Amino acid sequence: MLADSPSETPGGARLSSAPASVYPGQHVRPSGIGLIALLVASLAGGAYAALRAAPQEPESDFRRLLERQRPALKHPGGPREFYFTRGAYSSGWRWSSWATDYPKADRQFMLAVNSFIDINAAEHENVVRLNDPEIRRYPFLYALEVGSMALTASEVKGLRDYLLAGGFLVIDDFWGSWEWANFEREIRRVLPEFPIQEMPLDHPIFNAVYRIDEILQVPAIGNHWYGRTWEQDGYTAHARGIFDHDGRLMVIINWNTDLGDAWEWFERPEYPLNYSSFAVRMGINFIVYAMSH
Amino acid sequence: MVESLFEFLFKYRPLIFEQGELAFRASWVGFLALGAAAGAGYLTLRTYLAVRGNSQPLDRAVLTAIRIAALAVLAFCLLRPVLVLSSVVPQENFLGVLVDDSRSMQIADRDETPRYEFVRRELGAPDSELRAALADRFALRFFRFAGETDRMTALDELTFRGTRTHLGRALERAHDELSGVPLSGLVVVSDGADNLEGGLGETLLPLQAAGVPVFTVGLGREEFERDIQLSRVATPRRVLRGAALAVELVVTHRGYRGETVAVQIEDEGRIVATEDVELPADGEPRTVRMRFTAAEAGPRLFSFRVAPQPGEMVTQNNLRQALIVVEDRSKRILYFEGEPRWEVKFLLRGVADDENLHVTLLQRTAENKFFRLGVEGPDELPGGFPTTRADLFKYSGLILGSIEANYFTPDQLRMIADFVNRRGGGLLMLGSHRSFSQGGYAGTPVADVLPVVLEPLAADAEESFFSEVRVATTRAGASHAATQIAETEEASVERWDTLPPVTVVNPITEPKPGATVLLTAQPDDLVVLAFQRYGAGKSLALPIQDSWMWQMHADIPVEDMTHETFWRRLLRWVVDGVPDQVVARVPQDRVEPDETVTVLADVVDPGFEELNNSTVLAIVTDPAGNITERRMEWTAEQDGEYRMTFAAPDEGFYEVRVEASTDGELLGEDAAYVQVAPSDSEFYDSTMRAPLLQRVAEETGGRFYTADTAAALADDIQYAGSGVTVVEERDLWDMPALLLLLVTLVLGEWGYRRFRGLA
Repeated sequence: MLADSPSETPGGARLSSAPASVYPGQHVRPSGIGLIALLVASLAGGAYAALRAAPQEPESDFRRLLERQRPALKHPGGPREFYFTRGAYSSGWRWSSWATDYPKADRQFMLAVNSFIDINAAEHENVVRLNDPEIRRYPFLYALEVGSMALTASEVKGLRDYLLAGGFLVIDDFWGSWEWANFEREIRRVLPEFPIQEMPLDHPIFNAVYRIDEILQVPAIGNHWYGRTWEQDGYTAHARGIFDHDGRLMVIINWNTDLGDAWEWFERPEYPLNYSSFAVRMGINFIVYAMSH
Repeated sequence: MVESLFEFLFKYRPLIFEQGELAFRASWVGFLALGAAAGAGYLTLRTYLAVRGNSQPLDRAVLTAIRIAALAVLAFCLLRPVLVLSSVVPQENFLGVLVDDSRSMQIADRDETPRYEFVRRELGAPDSELRAALADRFALRFFRFAGETDRMTALDELTFRGTRTHLGRALERAHDELSGVPLSGLVVVSDGADNLEGGLGETLLPLQAAGVPVFTVGLGREEFERDIQLSRVATPRRVLRGAALAVELVVTHRGYRGETVAVQIEDEGRIVATEDVELPADGEPRTVRMRFTAAEAGPRLFSFRVAPQPGEMVTQNNLRQALIVVEDRSKRILYFEGEPRWEVKFLLRGVADDENLHVTLLQRTAENKFFRLGVEGPDELPGGFPTTRADLFKYSGLILGSIEANYFTPDQLRMIADFVNRRGGGLLMLGSHRSFSQGGYAGTPVADVLPVVLEPLAADAEESFFSEVRVATTRAGASHAATQIAETEEASVERWDTLPPVTVVNPITEPKPGATVLLTAQPDDLVVLAFQRYGAGKSLALPIQDSWMWQMHADIPVEDMTHETFWRRLLRWVVDGVPDQVVARVPQDRVEPDETVTVLADVVDPGFEELNNSTVLAIVTDPAGNITERRMEWTAEQDGEYRMTFAAPDEGFYEVRVEASTDGELLGEDAAYVQVAPSDSEFYDSTMRAPLLQRVAEETGGRFYTADTAAALADDIQYAGSGVTVVEERDLWDMPALLLLLVTLVLGEWGYRRFRGLA
């Protein structure tokens, strides 16, 4: 099993078996997209086999999902340092949109994370509702398909407190002006005083581990089959951010792009590796940045 | 009173008997009379033995004894007892009179008249009673003394404004000046408030050797009826701007038991802390812990004040001042973390607003891959953890996170130990599955430095430790600056008790013998925060792995600043007092005008090896802004230590900026400050110090007097003094005590006879 591949100390320490690569200085430069592509490809086959064997949870049953994930939170050395945590939110016209790509994308992404960086991270998915007090135990939160987001009052408060206390939110996989308008309305309810800003490429988050020179539009696998990268009227990918009063990044918004699909399908030969590689690099940058800034 | 009665009965004062020797000067007439008395005694004995009458043997024995005692008194008188005394020859000897000219003589603690009033009344004019009596016998030489000692030609030179009292120096000076003349002794008129550091020391030895007695006259009361004194305040000399200071003040008093007084701390006139204090029993010191923030940079004069109370004898001793140099510079800390951890984010976030802490993060993201944050340039930490002492020692603090010992080379582990031991830096190790014993540090040089005992993990250890704990302060931690997370000590302890639980994977229970534990966790009695001084620096152990829960737990309000406060105060304490390559210091931060100021500088190279051949300049800026530059010289007493002195005539602050360079390359610079101002030490412990004055008198063969008994001074010195003397005999046969005894014995015999019916 791929999940068994990292060696673990009795105290739970994971000693990475990733190949050594020297990154001189703060401005770390990857050795090239080829390296990432090679590593992603080498993981893909095994991941595919593993996930084929794993039962898929019905997306509708949130409670059963949570019950299932609890054992994963237990660890011989105590809780893991990092959990890839999905924010479960209330949605309007599209029921359970928070669970898109769940849990395969999460597991595949964590497979890559645990391989490429030395981190004591849970291999499994983790879900928490925005109004759950326990949300603050997980300072990294991933939410997608927010075009249908319709937050309750308690979710607004929970997410606001979470972000102001120091939590970090990654938004992904929503497209076009209509979904943007919905998301913008909802996030204004959470953080009305902080504007949404375009993220410049020289922001440290694009250089935390891997240097990102361009914001690629990562297509959903279905769109790729049809030979297009966009959905609705979202023709250009954006990375936007919301900063607190001290200039600290609280929310990064990946609009008109679908990093989650690239994680979910990177084992499929027909899905281009450059998208998966880009999505993994972006995701790892998000994690390392969130854990150090 | 006792002495007057003694003098009435025995004709002379006790001192005369102490100084004289008993002798008998009977003439032949006296011996004839003595023989007659002896014969009378013999006849008496025979008569009482022979006559029976109605007397009992006891009666005869009593009457015989009384009669013989009366005859013995008579015989004693007939032998003409005398006291042989050595008396100074009038006007042939000198007497040095030393008068205290310090400010404490202004204190009006007897009948609301100042202490100096005695001097004016008894010594001020040539016809003053005491002065005239002394001048009849001695050639008088007057001295006034405070911090310095000077000869006086007239007593109106006294100002009573001296800011210090150096009694020992005054005795030395007067003795030296009068060493060539016949000297009967020295008279010291003072309240005894000697405040020279080190006390009298060996200054009495030359006087003892020369046989010069010192007669001391103590002025003032030995105990005030009502007074409050701020006896002690201990403060650091240097702090970082924004530092939260915890100081201990000791308040003593008399006459205000149970009353509540306000204690204030002022930063250049601005009140920064106030506390109401209930005073304990008289004479019992009350320790007050107060906290304040050093918000303004530069040399700051902090005042610690107890509000004056009605009826206080001395109000000047309610105030103490301390010069604290508040440094507005950034202390650099290297935080080395072996993996991405939330502790990193929240630690950095906690101290981000602290302009005086600069944390440089070096984080390993994968094997031999590092992420740097807060570096000053691309050349800082390019290849991971420093490999030279010079690169490591430029930081003041070092935090080791989840990084295993095996990452480091043996030399790097020794460097970390030297960072504390030799460089004087602060080391903090955080809890994780790769630190302490779990990280393989047991048996390494780093383990020697740490304040906790690390047990090597058993090779077959399978069970890992994990515990969720609540943290509490120890007694030391309740008041320690590093663990103050609320406004008051009580609030801080309470806040610790209510913080959410955190987790521990390093089961450490044993601190080293010299370590202090500040935070613990129950029920396993785990050490949560401990420190120890090691060599020139200090080390701390914080074996918890998620202090960020104090920020992110659901029970913590978003606006709560406990986590930030904890990390700021802890890291500030980690780098507190950590020296740089060049350190300027002045042994005394407050001197009198015109006093010489000594400046010292310690100079080391980037590897903190002492340098004796550096070019060290001291740039002195006086209160008026005038700048003088002087070269400092190696002391040759200690490696790397340089010294210079300068005179400070003007009141105010002097800045001494020290620059050190070697081969034209600047090693570093530092500044020290000294305040030039009259001392107010005269008003502390300003009661008359009779024990000190008595000691001076007894050890030199003199005598101690008060204002009430000083009238006898002239007579006493005449017989107790040294110099040119003649032998003098004083008759004792006519002492009223002898006559009284004789009459008592005769009346006693008559009364006994009447009582027993024998008459």
